[in-house]
Amino acid sequence: MAKRIVIPGEVLTSERKRLGQHVFIRDGKIVADCLGIFIPEAPVASVIPLKGRYVPKENDVIVGIVVEEKFAGYVVDINSFYYSFVLKEGIRQNLKRGAIISAKVANVNEVNGVELTNVRILPKGGEIISVVPVKVPRIIGKNASMLKVLKEGSGSQMIVGKNGWIWVRGGNIPLLEKAIRKIEEEAHLSNLTNKIANMFKEKR
Amino acid sequence: MLVSKAKRPDGRKADELREIKIEAGVLNRADGSCYLEWGQNKVVVAVYGPREALPKHIQNPNKALVNYIYRMATFSVPERKNPKPGRREIEISKVCGEALESAIFVERFPNTTIDIFVEILDSNAGTRVAALTAAAVALADAGIPMRDLVSAVSVGRANGEIIVDLTKEEEDAEDAVDIPMAIMPNTQEFVLLQMDGIMSKEEWSKAIAMGQKACQQIYKLQREALRKRYLAAEKE
Repeated sequence: MAKRIVIPGEVLTSERKRLGQHVFIRDGKIVADCLGIFIPEAPVASVIPLKGRYVPKENDVIVGIVVEEKFAGYVVDINSFYYSFVLKEGIRQNLKRGAIISAKVANVNEVNGVELTNVRILPKGGEIISVVPVKVPRIIGKNASMLKVLKEGSGSQMIVGKNGWIWVRGGNIPLLEKAIRKIEEEAHLSNLTNKIANMFKEKR
Repeated sequence: MLVSKAKRPDGRKADELREIKIEAGVLNRADGSCYLEWGQNKVVVAVYGPREALPKHIQNPNKALVNYIYRMATFSVPERKNPKPGRREIEISKVCGEALESAIFVERFPNTTIDIFVEILDSNAGTRVAALTAAAVALADAGIPMRDLVSAVSVGRANGEIIVDLTKEEEDAEDAVDIPMAIMPNTQEFVLLQMDGIMSKEEWSKAIAMGQKACQQIYKLQREALRKRYLAAEKE
């Protein structure tokens, strides 16, 4: 399908279409609100952003880092606008600054503050690879196809947070990071999964 | 339109811009950035955010703050400039920040700040419009939702002629009038309009019309600069 790179304020179409993400209406025309990719043939007019910060949404699985221990819980950096707070209730281990957790976003308030549930403490010895949050869907791929290639190619454990933080442990991490950087750089191009699969094959 | 054929000191026509070069995404650690050369003017812009506004009492729970900081390097002018922000720089920071604020969807990011740092490395008149043009590109490069880009140009009068994009030499003419203007090119809305000097009504309308035309040219350059890095996706 043909793609079009659009910039903020650019008129996408004057047809009547369902509105997707990152569009708004001006003088009866559908207009893009950020730098991104627009697919003219798609039934829903939406722009896939190429850059941008993580804006928390309900039910996102994210990766966070413990910043501070308080009396009743932990302050967690989730790569969003503010830190989040997790109660000690239900967490059996005593966490230290720097511990990595994964959690689900339970609730987002009107100023983008986040409440977390399903907190899982990730085992020690892992590290975090940080990517641009809007490129996370490319790292997971359709039906997690890209994620499967990455896991099999490097032999690492991976947990991908919607907030752009990827927790990895074991396996060939330098190679994995190289692959992730490649995905990040070429996220706007197609046929990426095959390219990455070939990259792992060559290195082996 | 009546445009005089007379050449200007640097050989340009009355409605001709200086050479403009725009490059987006030049700084690794900023969320968005832009480098712009506009004749002798050289500008670097870095955009950070939206990020939590601190100290907490400056936060606005209804919208994001736009923190635009315009600074001239000490070596950007012929005589060394005192690095302390002066009256002029503080004013430019304020008006340009407000110009961009009207283009950004600030209400989507409550309690945050969008920091825009502008550094003028070399200058020869028209730095505030050059900076604003570059800042719009840097904001788009940062992925910040906007109603439209902002394109800016200066128009005015020198030696009895209405011209666009004045140089320092022209700005220093006896009858010089300088009008920096910025518009949102798709809707033609004005976001910045300043003027120093006196003009007749006819001269004013002519100058503004020329400025609007020049802004469309600048908009095209901004668009190309932003699209350039991802063009490979369109070819597939």
